[in-house]
Amino acid sequence: MIWDIVIKLVIAGAVFFFVLNLAGAHTWLERKQSAVMQDRIGANRATLFGQRLLGIPHSIADAVKMFTKEDFIPANADPFLHTLAPFLSVFFAMVAFAGIPFGDHLMLGGRMIELQVAKVDVALLYIFAMLSLGVYGVILAGYASRSNYALLGAMRASAQMISYEIALGAGIAGIVMIYGTLDLQEMVRAQGGLAWGFLPKWGIFLQPVAFFIFLTAALAETKRTPFDLPEGESEIIGYFVEYSGMKFGMFFLTDFVETILVACLATTLFFGGWQIPGLSVAGFNFFGHLIAVNPVIYALLGVMSFTLKVLIFCWLFMAIRWTLPRFRYDQLMRLGWQYLFPIAIANVVITGLILALVK
Amino acid sequence: MPKITIDGKTIEVAAGTTVIQAAEQVGVFIPRYCYHPGLSVAGNCRICLVDVEKAPKLQIACNTPVAEGMVVNTTSKKVTDGQQSVLEFLLANHPLDCPVCDQSGECDLQNFYMQYGRYDPRFEEQKNKKPKAVPIGPTVMLDAERCVLCSRCVRFTDEITKTGEFGIFNRGEKAEIGLYPGKTLDNDYSGNVVDICPVGALTDRDFRFKARVWYLSTAPSVCNGCSQGCNIDVHYVLDRPHLADGARVMRLKPRYNADVNQWWICDEGRYGFKSADQDRIEKISLKGAVAAWDIALTQIATAVTKLKAANQLSAMAVIPSAQLTIEDLYAVKKLTDQLPGVVCTAQVPPLPGKSDDLLMKADKNPNSAGVALLELDKTPASSIIEAAVSGQIKILWVIGQDLVKLFGEEKVKQLAQKVELFIYQGPNTNKTSSYAHVVLPASHYLEKDGTFINVQNRVQRIGKILPALGDSKADWQIVAALAAKLGLTAGWKSLPELFVAAAAEVKPLNGLTYEKIGQQGFTV
Amino acid sequence: MAIRKRELTFWEKLYLPQIFSGLKLTMKHFFVNLFIHMAHRLGLMKNSSAAVTIQYPEERRWLAPRLRTRHRLMLREEGTPRCVGCMMCETICPAKCITIVAGEHPDPNVEKYPTRFDIDLGKCVYCGYCVEACPEDAIRMDTQILDIAAYSRDAMKLDMHELLNPTLRKPLKECELKFPHKCAIHDGKITGSWDAVYGKGPKKSNQFESETPSH
Repeated sequence: MIWDIVIKLVIAGAVFFFVLNLAGAHTWLERKQSAVMQDRIGANRATLFGQRLLGIPHSIADAVKMFTKEDFIPANADPFLHTLAPFLSVFFAMVAFAGIPFGDHLMLGGRMIELQVAKVDVALLYIFAMLSLGVYGVILAGYASRSNYALLGAMRASAQMISYEIALGAGIAGIVMIYGTLDLQEMVRAQGGLAWGFLPKWGIFLQPVAFFIFLTAALAETKRTPFDLPEGESEIIGYFVEYSGMKFGMFFLTDFVETILVACLATTLFFGGWQIPGLSVAGFNFFGHLIAVNPVIYALLGVMSFTLKVLIFCWLFMAIRWTLPRFRYDQLMRLGWQYLFPIAIANVVITGLILALVK
Repeated sequence: MPKITIDGKTIEVAAGTTVIQAAEQVGVFIPRYCYHPGLSVAGNCRICLVDVEKAPKLQIACNTPVAEGMVVNTTSKKVTDGQQSVLEFLLANHPLDCPVCDQSGECDLQNFYMQYGRYDPRFEEQKNKKPKAVPIGPTVMLDAERCVLCSRCVRFTDEITKTGEFGIFNRGEKAEIGLYPGKTLDNDYSGNVVDICPVGALTDRDFRFKARVWYLSTAPSVCNGCSQGCNIDVHYVLDRPHLADGARVMRLKPRYNADVNQWWICDEGRYGFKSADQDRIEKISLKGAVAAWDIALTQIATAVTKLKAANQLSAMAVIPSAQLTIEDLYAVKKLTDQLPGVVCTAQVPPLPGKSDDLLMKADKNPNSAGVALLELDKTPASSIIEAAVSGQIKILWVIGQDLVKLFGEEKVKQLAQKVELFIYQGPNTNKTSSYAHVVLPASHYLEKDGTFINVQNRVQRIGKILPALGDSKADWQIVAALAAKLGLTAGWKSLPELFVAAAAEVKPLNGLTYEKIGQQGFTV
Repeated sequence: MAIRKRELTFWEKLYLPQIFSGLKLTMKHFFVNLFIHMAHRLGLMKNSSAAVTIQYPEERRWLAPRLRTRHRLMLREEGTPRCVGCMMCETICPAKCITIVAGEHPDPNVEKYPTRFDIDLGKCVYCGYCVEACPEDAIRMDTQILDIAAYSRDAMKLDMHELLNPTLRKPLKECELKFPHKCAIHDGKITGSWDAVYGKGPKKSNQFESETPSH
């Protein structure tokens, strides 16, 4: 019993560590990737022990700056709610990771260790619930600031998030129908093997339309370009206009954490999670020859596969961000309600018909 | 009365008038270097050439008397060619060091070159070297290279001051201006040679490198150096505090007034402007501590009211100065008139002063005649001092008088201990102000409007030229403020009203206004 | 006039093709630049740059020689300033950033020289009028120094030290200039000596008392 708790704590700590560090690295990646795409060098002036280290010290400098800046609460604001909002935001984003399976179970010392923080039967629902609760952070930030600009920004942000949640939910209904489960670990397992003999049985191949809907809606849900109207860094005033110091930093962090979460979800739902084509518990199937693999190595390969896929998604999100211009708000709403939602519904109907015909 | 036509304008002038004077009367300007209305005619610079009809050659306008029916042309080709040639000749040996020359900006060589010269220079030889930057007296710097040998300075020292220091030495191109051996230019009017020098040969040592002349603003005033009341122009700079260590007044220049000082001014008056910027009282001092006007005046008013209540107003005395304007004196007189018993007198023992027949007067106060006119010279101030020393005076208010200079330091020291309230009011610090209990900063005479009456009984106006320094206020304003504190009625609100009230009361001034006095004064 | 918008075709309305073409462009830049960056790390392809930006201050743009940059005061051959303190530059200066105080020069053929010559670069508009007004070629704006920044307004003021020596931005500890002048960093005390320039010996005094008029 005590070992179960220790193992769960270790896994939770590992996930926590990984996500937070990746979010921190995101600031550096974001800077460097945009610079390379735009024929620039990117931030490279901060030094650590006299070394520029490709500008990595900038991330540390950012963190130091965030922590040392004045934490300002507007005179009329509710200090408790104003302080609570960023914590809520980052909390709901972090706990959602509990449902993500990042590897097959590992047999160690006669114990079967699930490489998942919490084995939830309805992990998908749980994650969506947590994502939805993130809206509270946003609304609270705008409301508790007692600023018209912040409140309007919060309204804008929550309207966008709620709208796209519908499309997001409807979009992945197809995936759920195909794999017939809400347990993400089960869903990943179901994606092992080949479809029609040559294609990995990944969601992207079985549900391509759902993938695009999911990708679009997820970008909007995480408030990233081209859907970054709530923040609109240099142009529009967002819901966290009255925040400074690390509280602002937490909203900033939430964004990156959510991006990673969405990358994890996309990997899990559409790219086979920790699956590697041809690799199974039995061994690696190399054109009919079965090469035996140590179970521990097998589990680690799964984790690495999952991590790589997540990183590729993060990279893709950044590439999209630095390529596309921002939508206008009416365009954003029209896209969500008039295009994505009907297409998602149609996708569900067609998937259902096909499923009914095939079975 | 001969009739003469100059550039088509006909005028009838007195016999003996020269063409240059006649031209001035019709408003035609003829360039000149050696000609000066206050000096004899030398006719040696040759720039004033004019074309007289039926004369074979160009004539010099300064030395050609007007004749009946004379027709003069000052703009013909012949004249301009002549002027150009003369200028080229005068400038042949000129060093052209305008950048370092204090005269540049008000130099007739520069002005006339731009107006009448503009020739292509043909002079290729080496220029003559002559002494440069030679201090020839306490006030004047000589640069013989810049001289055009107009001899104005020679004639000035010969004819006006009759000291005869200057002479032209050597011959031909080696001729140069200089002093006779063993002489120095140290007469009392030496500064005037700087004014009359049309070029930069004679420059002012006091003004040397202080400022460029185009930085200066000009305003008319009257010298307060003595009872002559010479008319002056004040040249000042307000926007360049880095010049001359922040001084505002850069120099004084005489202003032409045919009846008072003509073109001249003595050196004492010329360099008397430093009191405007040096040793000024800027803050009110209340027993050594800086105070505000309201507090200081309230304290004085309380003391006066206490005396009044005790029916002891005869223990208060006011000693104004003949340095004050008519308006200031009148305001003081009106205030003391309303406090029966208070002694107010400006009659002080005369201090020894330089005087001569030209302009300098022994009485170094500009408004002694005004004091007499306002009958403020009835009681001798020495009796007040004696009374104060013996402890009979409780409040002594001194306006602009340096008691230490007049009565000796010992007496002032004693009376400062005896008198309950010793007020000194004035623009500059002096020994007396250091003994006073209350020191009130008054505006310098260049910082206020008013009128002086000179020794000829001529009423002349001074104008506010500079902003009041620090907390200082004009004397009449201080008096008015104190009167208000005492609950006395003044009867006037502005300075013109004050003057009109004074003029109505004092017989010789009856009906006089500022407009009537004008810039040149009004004899009463 | 009404502006008529062009109807989008179905293909354009889909967005996706346009998104992909945009991504294609940015990806091309990304991978090409990434490749060059990596090659630079390995010491290869030094001639081709992965960025169009200039890495200031290590790299600098070429400046035209006639560009008006920070001022300097010129020196005569013997090392004294050319400036004679005529204040032409101070007069013409539209920003009123030049302050000159003139003094008596021991050589009567020079006569005048600046005891104080300050330029407030915080006010200067770099119009170059001072250079054109100067009759002595004493001031030039050809130092090519552009990066003039300071932490206070006072530090933007150049005194004669810094103007005579264009490489000098920070005040000197010891004044090495060979002429007396009121020096802001020495509390206005006069340092240096004319003797270093003109040699020791009886100099023409400016005191009237010891002067005899010459003819």
